[in-house]
Amino acid sequence: MKTYNYKRNRELFQKALKVIPTGIYGHLGPTSSCFIPVDAYPCFASRAKGAYIWDVDGNRFIDYMCAYGPNILGYNDEDVEAAVEKQMKLGNCTTTPFAIMIDMAELLVDTVEMADWAFFAKNGGDVTNFALMVAKAATGRKKTILVKGGYHGVAPWTQKLGYPGIVEEDVANNIYVEWNNYDQVEKIVRENPGEIACFMATPYHHPIFMDNELPKKDYWQKIRKLCTDNGIVLAIDDVRCGFRLDLKGSDHYFGFKADLMCFCKALGNGWNFSALCGIDALKDAVSSVMYTGSYWLSAVPFAAGIACINKLKKINAPKIMKSQGKKLTDGLVDIGKRHGFNLIVTGEPSMWYMRIANDDSLMLHQEWVAECVKRGVFFTNHHNLFMNCAMTDEDIEFTHEVADEAFKVVKARNKELF
Amino acid sequence: MKDALTMSNINLYAVLRNLEDLCALDKEMAALIKGKSIGLQFVVKGGPRALISFEDGKCTFTRGTGKNNIKLYFKSPEHFNDMILGKANPIPLKGFTKINFLKNQFSQLTDKLTYYLKPTEVLLKKSNYLKMNTIFTIYTAIFALAEIGNNDKIGKLNAGRIPNGTIQLSVKNGPTVNITVKDGILEAKKGLVNSPRASMTFNSIETANAMLNGRIDPYSCISSGRLEMKGYIPMIDNFNKLLVQVSNYLN
Repeated sequence: MKTYNYKRNRELFQKALKVIPTGIYGHLGPTSSCFIPVDAYPCFASRAKGAYIWDVDGNRFIDYMCAYGPNILGYNDEDVEAAVEKQMKLGNCTTTPFAIMIDMAELLVDTVEMADWAFFAKNGGDVTNFALMVAKAATGRKKTILVKGGYHGVAPWTQKLGYPGIVEEDVANNIYVEWNNYDQVEKIVRENPGEIACFMATPYHHPIFMDNELPKKDYWQKIRKLCTDNGIVLAIDDVRCGFRLDLKGSDHYFGFKADLMCFCKALGNGWNFSALCGIDALKDAVSSVMYTGSYWLSAVPFAAGIACINKLKKINAPKIMKSQGKKLTDGLVDIGKRHGFNLIVTGEPSMWYMRIANDDSLMLHQEWVAECVKRGVFFTNHHNLFMNCAMTDEDIEFTHEVADEAFKVVKARNKELF
Repeated sequence: MKDALTMSNINLYAVLRNLEDLCALDKEMAALIKGKSIGLQFVVKGGPRALISFEDGKCTFTRGTGKNNIKLYFKSPEHFNDMILGKANPIPLKGFTKINFLKNQFSQLTDKLTYYLKPTEVLLKKSNYLKMNTIFTIYTAIFALAEIGNNDKIGKLNAGRIPNGTIQLSVKNGPTVNITVKDGILEAKKGLVNSPRASMTFNSIETANAMLNGRIDPYSCISSGRLEMKGYIPMIDNFNKLLVQVSNYLN
């Protein structure tokens, strides 16, 4: 199998470095994305369609990062793009919003089991931040319980003391607990009577670099009761899991009802907007908080969102992604085993995390992922991966062939370990 | 914000530690200590202690106390830090007859160390200077990083987030250092280790020097492949947070 060349990617990256801090910053950049080694990965896309992206050197990749989640139907989905085109002709960012925002809100209220209303913004971090403000406004309290290793965006309160740009006051009201440890949460609630405004967590634990963990039996049901009994707002950050597990919301999937739910990635198949959904009892608190942004009520993403969600429902998207994810990961585990690799897969199959566990440094895993990328299968080595609805059996078969060769290459390079 | 105790530990355990390598790498300095038999004990009340020995033409740095014939006492970490800045004098408790060593040879040694640690654009154009500056800067940085992680309030938080294991930091055709983390306690050492859990490798002395002297940011170095990282990245991620603090302490 021929490996890729990235000449144009490198030229453009050098150009980017001159005018953009770190060339590409944030989670799409080589540093945060853990491109190890850097020269195994492409930097810039030239086009995207369905399950694939093509880089600026013309290399094609099956993209198992799905833009870190937003690509849920497949890039440039024809139904979504047709809706976008239609709305674009009418207008987008205007002084009075288009009434399509009501259609979008109604669709979310009809789709998401717990939702009585929907509030729109642009990024996941906008709505996790807003969820905390709403919880504080509703309760008059200031403290938040968060799960260690949970990711809720990049606002100062979501980061840690000791990180550049973060001061003590930014995180002073955060209390951290271990995932799946109900007793710890109960103890904190007991020790801080009348002070906890919000418990915020993802529906299941999907930190980077670590095996993902599903909730223990009754964990969410006990947390729900504890929050209800103590007047604490239960906010679920469904930005990453949203619509990949259950179109009715991931709280519904795990058998409980949240007070606030944060959505973003899968809403518009890449057209940018986020949503906070909530229960009636919190609607007044939402109204009381001043929170807005220049592009938050733009119409085109709503058109995309309506087309996207309707199609996700029509094709039963979570079922497709779950079954394709299982087919893919079962195959990867088996192929790895044949070559002597212990590939561990955790989390839900539609957004699984994997790592080679033969060493404790992830170096073998980094090598294997890099060899897959160089042959046209875009994985990352640190983060959960994503399925979308455009991935076919042929794509999975091709991925297995690439994985097989990549395992062989890594094994040959590390003979002393086998 | 600089914590006085952490700063005094850095000054002794990270900066003055370099005298050991200075006497090994700089022929002029090696000649200066030839034939000397001096045990110079630093004692900082409520702070660091170390013995710097000059014996058989070699300089050895040891944390703690040991056989000495000169003892310098400092009444606080602040007092020691002021001495390093040239704003205060030590209190000699022992070795009045050896005071000339301090005034002459020791003073020349520290002047030369300062010369290597404070580069100018002109000096960095000389390849030997560039190499020496890189070696002393990387040694200072790694030992300072351990002190910050073990003593500074924010540093302890960052150190506590580093998973257990050893991180190796090396420069192609240059120095290698490593830092071992055990339950948030850091220990810095010079040299290679067999199986680091994470590693960072500079592709050249020039890259290492530019990054250590703040002329390139680490993220650009990593993203352009000039600094290769691999292994258990949560170790490196939190290590880098400490590296930012090193700059704050040493600048």
